[in-house]
Amino acid sequence: MASRKKRRVGSLAVGALVVTVGAAAALLAGGAGAGPQSTAAVPRGDTLYTSGKQWGPYTNFNPLKPDYNTGVVGLVYETLFRYDPLKDRFLPWLASGGKWVGRNKYVVTMRLGVKWSDGKSLTPADVKFTFETQKYKGAQYGTMWKTGLQRITLSGRTVTFHFKGTPNYQEWDSNRYTVPIVARHIFKGYSAKEIVSGNASNTKKIVGTGPFRYGGGAGGSQTLQWVRRDGWWATKTYGMTMPMRYIVDIHNTSNTASLQNFLQSKIDLSNNFFPGIDKHVGGKIRTYYSKAPYMLAANTAWLVPNTTKKPLNDVAFRRALAESININRIVTADYQHIVSKANPTGLLPTWSKWIDQAQVKKLGFSYSISRAKARLSSNGYRDRNGDGFVEDKDGSSINLRLIVPKGWSDWETAIQIIADSAKDAGIKITPAYPDFNGLVEERNTGKFELAINNEKQIGNTPYTYYDYLFRLPILEQQTVSNFQRFTSARSWALTQQLNKIQSSSVKKAKKVHSQIQKVILQQLPAIPLWYNGMWAQYNTSVWTNFPSSTGNQATPSTWNGYINMTGIDALAKLKKK
Amino acid sequence: MSRYLARKIVIYLLTFFVAVTIDWAIPRLMPGDPVSGLISRLQTDPTAAQEMHGYFTESFGLDQPLWKQYLNFWLGLAHGDLGPSIAYVGSSVSELIWAALPYTLALLVPAILLSYIAGNRIGAMAARRKVLDNTVLPVSYVLTATPYMWLALVLAYVLAFRWQIFPVSGAYDFSLQPEWTWEFARSFLSHWFLPFLTLFLVSFGGWAIGMRNLIIYELEADYANYLQALGAPNKLVRKYAYRNAVLPQMSGLALALGVVVGGALVTEIVFGYPGIGSLIITAIQNRDYFLLQGIFLFIIVGVLIANFIVDIAYVIVDPRTRTGLLGS
Repeated sequence: MASRKKRRVGSLAVGALVVTVGAAAALLAGGAGAGPQSTAAVPRGDTLYTSGKQWGPYTNFNPLKPDYNTGVVGLVYETLFRYDPLKDRFLPWLASGGKWVGRNKYVVTMRLGVKWSDGKSLTPADVKFTFETQKYKGAQYGTMWKTGLQRITLSGRTVTFHFKGTPNYQEWDSNRYTVPIVARHIFKGYSAKEIVSGNASNTKKIVGTGPFRYGGGAGGSQTLQWVRRDGWWATKTYGMTMPMRYIVDIHNTSNTASLQNFLQSKIDLSNNFFPGIDKHVGGKIRTYYSKAPYMLAANTAWLVPNTTKKPLNDVAFRRALAESININRIVTADYQHIVSKANPTGLLPTWSKWIDQAQVKKLGFSYSISRAKARLSSNGYRDRNGDGFVEDKDGSSINLRLIVPKGWSDWETAIQIIADSAKDAGIKITPAYPDFNGLVEERNTGKFELAINNEKQIGNTPYTYYDYLFRLPILEQQTVSNFQRFTSARSWALTQQLNKIQSSSVKKAKKVHSQIQKVILQQLPAIPLWYNGMWAQYNTSVWTNFPSSTGNQATPSTWNGYINMTGIDALAKLKKK
Repeated sequence: MSRYLARKIVIYLLTFFVAVTIDWAIPRLMPGDPVSGLISRLQTDPTAAQEMHGYFTESFGLDQPLWKQYLNFWLGLAHGDLGPSIAYVGSSVSELIWAALPYTLALLVPAILLSYIAGNRIGAMAARRKVLDNTVLPVSYVLTATPYMWLALVLAYVLAFRWQIFPVSGAYDFSLQPEWTWEFARSFLSHWFLPFLTLFLVSFGGWAIGMRNLIIYELEADYANYLQALGAPNKLVRKYAYRNAVLPQMSGLALALGVVVGGALVTEIVFGYPGIGSLIITAIQNRDYFLLQGIFLFIIVGVLIANFIVDIAYVIVDPRTRTGLLGS
């Protein structure tokens, strides 16, 4: 009797086990993203494995919502133009050309023979439809409709964008290569809400003009698979073909796990941040530069001071603070040379043609503890109580809280170096590590004192950086720009003035650039520290000819916004080993 | 029996209500506004950002007073709607959880059951057998005291990274998509093994120690001595001792479930296993109220159901309870 019971309990347990594993397998095979076309394992030699972009599940296939899955824009949906930041030029893509006619009409000529992956032709009406969806409330590229774009008209192969008054040329240039064109015959079936914040995740409706189509993986699956499609227009027009049949993007769980997979040759192109990767470079592991800084610069890391708080509202104090920071130590000790020190204007190296170097030489700050000390002292910041730190002019103590998001280990080390280095000049800084959302709250509402931020990425114009530094008015919540709450009507007016100058008017534009940079250099609304890298490391066991400074110069990144720069060229030029 | 069941069900319902209310409240106590975090990650342009903030706050219903949000939550729940995810705008919480749940279940259920069965067996064998006891006991102490995360890291480093016997991370090979093939099943199993082993080993230690101590205790009980005095074979005495010792272990199983679930979450993160654990981290990092609520709700429901099953199983296994319930 007893043993029969025991057997019963035992078989109950085994039964439950079988049911669970079976149910889990059924759910996995059925639900978690088995694509309709998914077949057996993709052959290694035909597959490019990428990682470093996708941290959340593969839920968003909507190119008009900016957190789309890896490759949605670039591999599937394409833009009118592309922008090559390394050579500073626009490349006609779905448009065969585009130009300003008169002062406020931009005319785009559409390329002939471009077909959607479902066989229908791309038409000017698709372009009009796409841009018009951006009128919806909350739309990602909605600014253009609020700042001058009035209507879009079609005539034959051309699409004409009509603006009111002088257009915001700089912003428009960004739109030219960032707005992905969607198929009207598919997207007209989506509501405004779905277009603005939906996922457009019906995999049968992923219809693009690009070189790849959906292969498999969605939601919680750990990879997303794109399959090369025949009949991509650029093959005929530019002779571009994709050497890989499959691109499999791997969902990131941690940089450490990615590093292990990368070193075991399971990932070919990794856009993860790998501290210490410099030690592996050489042999089969390669980077854009074969020596420091190894990576291209993708954005600037700024020290953002809250200029509404004492003593950070005093430009002399900000300058002393800037002079007290040993940026070279961050570059060498924290990053082991995989980043480089930023220009005092904060502008990226790709924008060097806009930097007034003579002015930088004259007005730019540089690291000098003695100069920082002298500046503090001559401006009334002295150590009155002998604790080694200066007090404010009114004698009150200074202790600045410097925040970075918890877990961003490279930044955590960086702010410790900053605090140490400022201490030498007598400025007391206390590093703190709130978690990301806590930090966003402090930063957006202006409660913080000092923070590190790098949210503005490389692009076609430094205008985005100026906007980031000077945008007015200051609102209750500063969500994406002017976190430092720097109020200078003149700087903002200059920024807007630049927006209305075409980049082709180089001389005129340079003059305004120089004026704006003067404010950055003299007023230090934020302190540029280092260039964060366009993290990209290549394992050349299966694929070679990755972008490099000496060969194929292109943006080697699968991050959103980079494939529609020259990421697609980087992929097309890869060679099978 | 039915009165027993009815009483149990009422208690479970009450527990469910309180747990779900706490589940709803806790994410909202965290500092930081989820929508600002979302806008910040979307990297949108400044004019659109202002508009999006209002748009999303409204569409998540976060502009409503708290009591109304609470009420909406229960209403949604009644319709099986766990709300939208904030971290992954456009996806529903249910959709995300269903995608991740199979992975977690496939780890948890076998790990819990097999460690329980194996731990109890080995523990029982070890009791009163010098050689076994001297090996099983210290090993079990070490295992049960090992943090899940640490053991996971050691296993990953040695077996996956150094010796490359098992894959480092993930739930199946990157070249595959989930489907019914032998290739996928093989790959799934080889990826499943290390996280499973982690959970299994830590739990195993606890069960083995518990059972060993209980058996020793039972063998010293009067009934065991009496049986021995009557000349019953050792095997029979141990069998009775085992049956009695299993009962407290079963209650222990109900209590341990929460800990094992917690351990599974940490283990998943170490192995990059795409289950609930990985999802929960993202939800916390992004102040995703709805996703957090949804996941905790699943854990609450899961633990309650498991407890209920244990309660029922207890009745089946323990004739005294059964007899008591039947009133004979």
